[in-house]
Amino acid sequence: MQIAVSGGKGGTGKSTVATNLAVALRKIGVKLTLADLDVEAPNDHILLGVELANEEPVNQFMPRFDYSKCTKCRKCAEVCEEHAIVTLKDGTPFLMPTLCSGCRACEIVCPVPGAIQEAFRVIGHTYVTPTPYGFTLVTGKLREGEERSMPLVVAAKRRAEEVREGLLMVDTAAGTGNTVSKAVEGSKLLIAVTEPTPLGIHDTELILQLGKLMKIPTWVVVNRSDLGDVGKVRELAEKYGAEIVAEIPYSENIVKTYVEGKPIVLTDYPEAEIFTGLAERVAEFLGGGE
Amino acid sequence: MQIAIASGKGGVGKSTITASLLYLLKDEYSFVAVDADAEAPNLGLLLGVTEWEEEREHIGAKVARINTESCVRCGICYERCPYGCIYIDEEGNYVVNELTCEGCNVCGLVCPVTGTITLEEVRSGVIRKATTKYGFPLISAQLDVGRPESGKLVTEEKEWAAKLMKELNLEHMIVDSAAGIGCQVIASLGGADVAILIAEPTPASLSDVQRAYKVVQHFREPAYLIINKADINPGFTGLEEWAEKEGIPILGRIPYDRAVPESMSMLKPVVEAFPEAKASKAIVEIAEVIKREILG
Repeated sequence: MQIAVSGGKGGTGKSTVATNLAVALRKIGVKLTLADLDVEAPNDHILLGVELANEEPVNQFMPRFDYSKCTKCRKCAEVCEEHAIVTLKDGTPFLMPTLCSGCRACEIVCPVPGAIQEAFRVIGHTYVTPTPYGFTLVTGKLREGEERSMPLVVAAKRRAEEVREGLLMVDTAAGTGNTVSKAVEGSKLLIAVTEPTPLGIHDTELILQLGKLMKIPTWVVVNRSDLGDVGKVRELAEKYGAEIVAEIPYSENIVKTYVEGKPIVLTDYPEAEIFTGLAERVAEFLGGGE
Repeated sequence: MQIAIASGKGGVGKSTITASLLYLLKDEYSFVAVDADAEAPNLGLLLGVTEWEEEREHIGAKVARINTESCVRCGICYERCPYGCIYIDEEGNYVVNELTCEGCNVCGLVCPVTGTITLEEVRSGVIRKATTKYGFPLISAQLDVGRPESGKLVTEEKEWAAKLMKELNLEHMIVDSAAGIGCQVIASLGGADVAILIAEPTPASLSDVQRAYKVVQHFREPAYLIINKADINPGFTGLEEWAEKEGIPILGRIPYDRAVPESMSMLKPVVEAFPEAKASKAIVEIAEVIKREILG
């Protein structure tokens, strides 16, 4: 089974909830793998206090033209939806590598065998990191200067599937674009982490829409619940048939453990119970169906 | 001049600081503000914008569609989709998941039955303009849920903003970029004269701002740093050390202050809502440094 932690707005505490929930679930015996699919800004390893390990490059196809064979028919440039291939007046193609999405459409339409050769470039990395908490963390990390996060999300999710043990829990990026839906895809439960501020509420509506469009049951965790009007979140949740399952007040203790890279759920602070409670609810939802 | 404000990590206070800076700069400078976080635009909310004067639909995202009638169910599209966006429904039909499709058309190219898979243009979102109650214009965007290419929306926002600069004879464009380092952020930083980075003293924020800085370096733009919630993590000196090593001037430090979230709930920049708050005083000082060092 797979579940996702997401939230629309950046900085609402997705990673804090994902990492603490993972540790708490493991503590009550649920086997799991955590995948950090916020490939532009992956932070779960920092919050768990571990160094990324077992690096693997994500190679993306890009065409290399063999000009001795190319007939300058321009078909490759015509099919390139990203306009990554430009042609000179006489039809000679050139690639602008950062625009190339690696989809191979050019290779598919090229009428001359061998005129387009396979080349690759590294657009990021995936990592499989053992944690001291009894589960493995899989991380996708886009290389700086690369524009497209989708291939990294796909690669990291694939690697997570390969190494997964039991439940797969994914932590997504902010926003509600198609890379977030790709991360969430396949989940049986979506946990939306929100803030009760007007900005948080605005963005929460978008993630609830996404959950509805994808037909995934959605739970809401309200973070910094005392810094705004939880009633408004509740109204919104009801509108989308979602349920508020936890409220986490603003807490110096959470900030403290967050910056120390130590999951708060392992401490004696009272906030730990919130995550333990959430984990129990998730375990109940899973019903042993890992 | 074009100034881009970025952070890598979300939630470090980019939009709240931007809103306050815009408020403090509005009397002396003329500018257009751009909210370049098309997936979660918040600057308009913080500036009290409730109505948009003009809204343009952005058509241009492409998604593949499969005609079930003529599909022979060979599965080639399913095998070849580079991002795994085609699935088989309960009746055995091949279907494109429009919420994850990147619009590359590989499925259409490999499909053996002409006309079965078509690439269709769909709405990817809207771009909007408002004149804020403070007098300056704001351009904002909203990507539709599950659409690709938010960077294209940002590029179009900036084109509109550039046109406005000409029409209204404005001096500056101030761009509040999204979290992350992907296409939206690249579109935000591309063409900027100066980048202002915002970070908080946590290891996660340091890691993300370092990544954002690499993108800034790619564009060879001078960068400055603002440290927000500067006192939440005493003893953490990583940000300052990094800034010094890279030669990034620190424009100022803003202490953690509950007045900031409270001002957000009032939908006002904190410097307007609570001018005496310690965070407001720090932002006023930073605005002075920006006037002196960057805007001249």
